[in-house]
Amino acid sequence: MTIVALALSAAALLMLLVLAARRLVLARRERGHAESERRVRPLALAIVEGSGGEPPALSARDQAVLAEVLGRYSRELTGEADRRIADYFHESAALTSAGGELGSRRMWRRAAAAYTLGDMRCAEAAPELLRALDDDKPEVRGAVARSLGRLGVSEAALPLIEALASRRISNEVGGEALIELGSDVVPELRHMAGHPDWQIRATAITLLGLVGTSGDSPVGVEALRDSSADVRRAAAAALGRIGSSDAETALRATLDDPVDVVRAAAAESLGLIGSRAAASELLELARTDEFRPAHAAAEALARIDPGSLAAAAAEPGAGPHLHEAADLRKL
Amino acid sequence: MSVVHAILRGVSWVALVYFAVLSLAYLTFTLVAWRRLGAHRRARKYLPLDEMYASPFTPPISVLLPAFNEETEIVSSVDSLLDLRYPRHEVIVINDGSTDGTLERLRAAFDLAPVRKALRTRIATAPVRASYISRTHPNLWVLDKENGGKSDALNVGMNAATHAHVCVIDADAVLEQDSLLRIIKPFVDDPELVAAAGGIVRIANGCVIDSGLLVKFGLPQSSLARFQVIEYFRAFLIGRIAFDSLNGVLIISGAFGVFKRAIVEAVGGYARDTVGEDIDLVVRLHRYLRTRGDDYRIRFVPDPVCWTEAPEDLATLSHQRRRWQRGLGETLWRHRSQIANPRAGAVGLVALPYFLLFEFLGSILQLVGIPVVLVSWLLGALSVQFFLVFLAVSVLLSVLLSIAAIMLEEYSVQRYKRASDIALLALYGVLENLGYRQMTAFFGCRGVVDLMRRRHEWGEMRRRGLERPEEAPSAREQARA
Repeated sequence: MTIVALALSAAALLMLLVLAARRLVLARRERGHAESERRVRPLALAIVEGSGGEPPALSARDQAVLAEVLGRYSRELTGEADRRIADYFHESAALTSAGGELGSRRMWRRAAAAYTLGDMRCAEAAPELLRALDDDKPEVRGAVARSLGRLGVSEAALPLIEALASRRISNEVGGEALIELGSDVVPELRHMAGHPDWQIRATAITLLGLVGTSGDSPVGVEALRDSSADVRRAAAAALGRIGSSDAETALRATLDDPVDVVRAAAAESLGLIGSRAAASELLELARTDEFRPAHAAAEALARIDPGSLAAAAAEPGAGPHLHEAADLRKL
Repeated sequence: MSVVHAILRGVSWVALVYFAVLSLAYLTFTLVAWRRLGAHRRARKYLPLDEMYASPFTPPISVLLPAFNEETEIVSSVDSLLDLRYPRHEVIVINDGSTDGTLERLRAAFDLAPVRKALRTRIATAPVRASYISRTHPNLWVLDKENGGKSDALNVGMNAATHAHVCVIDADAVLEQDSLLRIIKPFVDDPELVAAAGGIVRIANGCVIDSGLLVKFGLPQSSLARFQVIEYFRAFLIGRIAFDSLNGVLIISGAFGVFKRAIVEAVGGYARDTVGEDIDLVVRLHRYLRTRGDDYRIRFVPDPVCWTEAPEDLATLSHQRRRWQRGLGETLWRHRSQIANPRAGAVGLVALPYFLLFEFLGSILQLVGIPVVLVSWLLGALSVQFFLVFLAVSVLLSVLLSIAAIMLEEYSVQRYKRASDIALLALYGVLENLGYRQMTAFFGCRGVVDLMRRRHEWGEMRRRGLERPEEAPSAREQARA
C-alpha cells in the first residue's frame, strides 16, 4: 500500500509538471505562429493580388504558415485570385510534401494531406487523390472527396458517385463535392440513373435534381415508376426543381404512391412547380392522408392556390394541416 | 475472534476489493479517453464543417427547448439557438405552463403570431393551449402547454418537430456556434447506424455571454461551482468517452443531445414518471434497438460544447444531486432485468453494473465507511497505519484522476486560455477531497432516501443568471428596443 501511495504521488506530480510544461510550450508555439503569420501575411496578400514578384526564400516554419494562410484564403476566394494561389502552390514544395503525406502510415496524416491538397487548388494532385479515394479509412476518403470537389476535376464524377452510392463517403461531403463539379457531372448522372443498384440510381437522381436542368426532367419522370421507393422519392423531390410540364402529370399520379414519403415529396414538388391543376388532389391529401404527405400537400396548396386553401380551412373538419397552412399564409 | 471483529474484517475486505476494482476501472477509462481524445484532436485538421454547412444533404434539425419559469434566460437562450451555424434548423420552445413571464418575454422579443400548428399524436401529452410562430424568425415556434413536467414538454416538442433529427436543449444552456454541425457529424458518417448522440456539457459560471454567444471563457468565482467544473471534466472527458468506445453510453444529458425522432417515438418518447428521464430514455433506446437486432450506435461526441449554469448555493446543489440520484435509482430499478444480462451487451455487462456499483451505491458506501472506521477503531480492530495509508492512496488516486481530466481538457478542447485557471483547477482537484466529495455523497444518500419514500418532485433550481458585458446593450437588443 505504501508503495502504491508513493507511486500515485509521483504520478500526480509528474502529470502536474507535464501540464505546466505543455502550457509553456503551447504558449511559445502560439506566439511563434502568430509572429510567423504576421510576417507572411503581406506576402500572401501579394500572391493573391498578383502584385508580388518572385516569393522570397522563407524558413520552413514560415513556408508552412504561408501555405496554411493561402489555404484559408482559397476557401473564400474564386476566379483570378484563386488561380494565383494554385500557381503559387504549383511551384511550391508544399504540394509535393502534401502528396507524399498521402502515403503516410498514419491515418490522420493522410486525411490532413488530402484536405490540404484541395485548398492548394492544383489539378495535378487529382490522380493521387483519386487513388486515395480507395483508402481503407472513411476519414481519408471524406477528405479526398472534399478536395476532388474543390479541384473541380470532372474525371472524379464517376468515382465519386460510386463511392457515394456504396456509402464509402457520406452524402453530405460527396454530394457537396459533386455539386461543386457542377454541370460537368450531368451526363454521368444521367447514365447512372439507369444503374442496376437502386442506391446508385437514387443518389444519381438526387444529384441530377440539384445540378441538372429541365432537359433532365424525362429521366426523373421515368424514375417515378422505379421499383424502389427511395428512387421514387428522390425522383419526386428532384422534379420540384428540374420538372417540366410533362413532370406535372407524373407527379400527380405519384400522389397515390403506396409509400408516404414518396407522396409527400410529390406534393412538395407540385407546390414548387406551381401546378394549379393539382389543387383538388392536394386538398384531398391534406385533409385525409398521413401526417407527412398531408402536411406537404397543405404547404403546396398554400403556394399554388391560397384562395382555395383559405376556403377549405374555414370549413368544419378541415384538419390541422390546412389550419396551419392557412394561418401561416395569412402572415 | 469475535463475530463483530469478523464482520468488520469482512467489511474491510469488501471495501478493499471495491476500491481496487473502481481504481482499475477509472484508470482504464482514463487511458481509453486519452487515446480517443488524441484522435479527435487530430481530426480537427480535416473536419469538413464548411462543406457540411454548405451541403444541401446535411440533415435538418428540430431544436427542442422546454421552458418552465425561465423568464430571466429564455430570450438569450433562444437568441443563441437561432444564431447557431447550421444550414437548416428550426427552434421549438415548449412553454410548460410557466407561471412567470416566460411567454410574455418571448412574445415581445420575437414578435410571435398565433398559428394552429399541426401536431402528431403518436406520443400522448398534456394539452397544448396555443402555438405561435415568430414573424421575425420563421424558424422559431413557441408552443404553450399545460404544465406536465420536462418529459411531457419534450414529448410535445417531438410531436411538433418537422425534421427527422431532434436536438434537446436545456433552457439555461448555451451552445457554441458550431455545436450542431459537430454533433450531427456521427449521423452524417453513419446515417443508418447512429441513433443518438450527446455532446459535452460544461460549466458556464464565470464565462460571459453576449447576444446568446459565449464571448469570454473563465472559471467561476464560486468555489462550489469550481468543484463542479472538475466533476464535469471527469464525467464527460473520462467516463462518457470510455463508455462510447464500448457502445455503452447510458446518459445523453438533457442539456444537449440529438436523437432520431422516429426511434424516440417508437419507444414512446420520454417517460413522465421519473426524474431521470434522460438516462431512462437512452436505456430504453438500447433495449429497443437490441431487441430489434439492429446494428446501432449511441455516441458521445467530445467537442460540441454546451455551457450550462451550475448551482452556486448548497440548497440548489443538494436538490440537483438528490434528483440525479433518484433518477438513476429509478432507472436502475426499471431496467434491473438488464443488469449483468449478457443479452444486453456492453450496456448490461459493463455500463449498468458500473452505474449500480459505483455511481448509485458509491455515495452510500462512502458514508457508511465513516461509522465502520470509527467502530473498528473503538473496538481496536483497526490498524491505524493501514487505514492512513489506505486513505492516502484513495485521496491520491482521486487527485490523480482529477489532474488527468484537466490534462485531457488541456489536450483536447482547451477552452481555458490562462495558465492560472489551469493551476487553480488543479488545486481544486486536491481540495475537493476535503469535504466536497463527502458532501455530495451525503446528498446522494438523501436521494436514495427520497427514492425509498417515493418522492417525485423536481426540486427548486435557483439560478443567478450568466454574466453579460457591462457596456452598451448588444446590437440585437438595440434593434429590439
